[in-house]
Amino acid sequence: MKAVCWMGKSSMETRTVPDPELINPHDAIIKVTRTAICGSDLHLYDGFIPTMESGDIMGHEFMGLVEEVGPEVTNLKRGDRVVVPFTIACGNCIFCKKKYWAACDNTNPNAHLMEKAYGYSGAGLFGYSHMMGGYSGGQAQYVRVPFANVGPLKIENDLPDEKVLFLSDIFPTGYMAAENAQIQPGDTVAVWGCGPVGQFAIASAFMLGAARVIAIDRFQERLDLARSLGAITVDYSEEDVSVLTALKDLTSGVGPDSCIDAVGLEAHSNELQGIYDVVKTALFMETDRPSVLRQAIQAVRKGGTLSIPGVYGGLLDKVPFGAAFGKGITMKMGQTNMHNYMKPLLERVEKGQIDPSYIISHRITLDQAPEMYKIWRDKKENVTKIVIDPWA
Amino acid sequence: MSSSPLTEKPYVEDLPRSTGASVVVSGRYLPPPEDKDGKLWVRTSALVLKDAQVLYAMWRDVEAAPQWQEHLVEVVETGPGTSRWSMRTSNDDDSKVITWESEVLADEPGVRIAWRSIGGDVDQAGEVIFDAAPNGVGTVVTVLQEFRMGKLASAWETLVGRNPKQAVIENLRHFKALAETGEIPRSQLDPHGDRGVIGNFKRSSYGETVPTPTGGN
Ligand SMILES: NC(=O)c1ccc[n+]([C@@H]2O[C@H](COP(=O)([O-])OP(=O)(O)OC[C@H]3O[C@@H](n4cnc5c(N)ncnc54)[C@H](O)[C@@H]3O)[C@@H](O)[C@H]2O)c1
Ligand SMILES: [Zn+2]
Ligand SMILES: [Zn+2]
Repeated sequence: MKAVCWMGKSSMETRTVPDPELINPHDAIIKVTRTAICGSDLHLYDGFIPTMESGDIMGHEFMGLVEEVGPEVTNLKRGDRVVVPFTIACGNCIFCKKKYWAACDNTNPNAHLMEKAYGYSGAGLFGYSHMMGGYSGGQAQYVRVPFANVGPLKIENDLPDEKVLFLSDIFPTGYMAAENAQIQPGDTVAVWGCGPVGQFAIASAFMLGAARVIAIDRFQERLDLARSLGAITVDYSEEDVSVLTALKDLTSGVGPDSCIDAVGLEAHSNELQGIYDVVKTALFMETDRPSVLRQAIQAVRKGGTLSIPGVYGGLLDKVPFGAAFGKGITMKMGQTNMHNYMKPLLERVEKGQIDPSYIISHRITLDQAPEMYKIWRDKKENVTKIVIDPWA
Repeated sequence: MSSSPLTEKPYVEDLPRSTGASVVVSGRYLPPPEDKDGKLWVRTSALVLKDAQVLYAMWRDVEAAPQWQEHLVEVVETGPGTSRWSMRTSNDDDSKVITWESEVLADEPGVRIAWRSIGGDVDQAGEVIFDAAPNGVGTVVTVLQEFRMGKLASAWETLVGRNPKQAVIENLRHFKALAETGEIPRSQLDPHGDRGVIGNFKRSSYGETVPTPTGGN
């Protein structure tokens, strides 16, 4: 089959690789009908997440048709149409039982690598480094899905793939980001990053009762999408714009009730601190560039909530923890507990409350993917979301 | 205080069972024993959402151990409480095999099992304790194992690429996954593109050349 392989930092190649096979009794093989490139994939492309091996198959946002199931798979059969969550959960451990699916105890075969770095290991993820399990991803024609009784969501309607594909990650991720923001009706919420995760965080913040959402980015097409959802936008790259002042001005000097960092470890910054982070990460003295996190901690109101769906991988420098403490803020974060959100969000799509396909800008083939990674990283061609048809 | 399971080996004596897995004795936390005099110790525990009796039976079924313990080729029961173990000395299927006999020292259904090796290529002793979790949900499985630096430990270290302590930790992880889900998560057989020299080097440094046990699947 064809698959997009990580061949080193800034190097993706579409290769012919063996087809996946059933390995464990709860496995299913999915014939991928649509897959996507995620902002998280950029962290792999740019070499920020360690333990990638050349030859690794990328991709954690995918859906398709069940091709084959293992002997213990009871709720899927060949031909079923499914969306697969990017986190792999067993359904039986204490964390799954508590609905912290992303913290599943039993799905990372390389848990010891993550234990060394993080103390404890979270769930295995598709196509997201060996520390996160070493599973092959879904930017391919076929993919093996472990614990298929637990993860895949059956799609039993005739909605096109593009309307349900993002239930595999970014829609639930944006939704959990808004939930983690602890929004009360009438609140003002600031969202950094108007990429796909930011978009769904904005839409979800309104669903959860926010009166106002302030969206921050520098790309016009993304700010336009945010305004189309009803957000007030701030272009941080404009001369004379200070994000902190803007947020103060827009909140009667109080600060947003909740702040959402939908950017993560590769935040862009044109201030002095940004240069500091670029130099430090280049010298391996710091692993992440937390300029949005710093800003969000400064910006949030006293007693407010900071929700962090943006990914951080390692050690952060100059995080104003004193400000966080001084204002008594709450911080919530983490990989999305996908399984909690897929079904309820599918219902919203079915009822026509939201059409997630509005963020798609590019539809490509597997062969075009390596080139598109570059465009996606550089945010060229007004790219907002790339969807791949593996059979085109 | 009676003999502490944490400071002495093969405990045929009664354990102080006042607390969760005897990590706490008389209200005080006891760290795992220190390595000394050529002895290595490892203590590790896991919360498993299964009944203690079920877990005990799974552990006691020594002939099934190769399903979840790394590198084991075969375990044969040779008598009441005795068994013969054979283990690969490298990650290749056709590698040399070392064998040893093992004897059960304590066997309390649903509570604990203690064992030690007798003769053969290795010198090790161990114990597993099954304790109700403090909040009543699940069973805390604690393994305490001791090795003398001998053929087994050095085979592990040098040929297999797993430090013996890590192997005990991984085996308990496999045991838990198998008990809770009926399988052990595996990704080594997934398809991939060309690994190249660096990719292959990384695989072995991440422990991915150690074959994950099949869980009997
Ligand atoms: N928590 C999870 O489970 C989860 C799941 C999916 C994605 N993510 C993470 O969410 C983040 C966003 O993902 P995405 O797909 O939307 O990526 P993306 O790269 O498309 O979007 C990031 C956006 O942030 C903007 N940005 C960069 N620097 C900024 C700054 N200083 N201020 C304001 N905006 C800035 C960029 O212009 C871009 O539009 C990534 O870190 C991704 O890894 C997390
Ligand atoms: Zn993603
Ligand atoms: Zn689990």
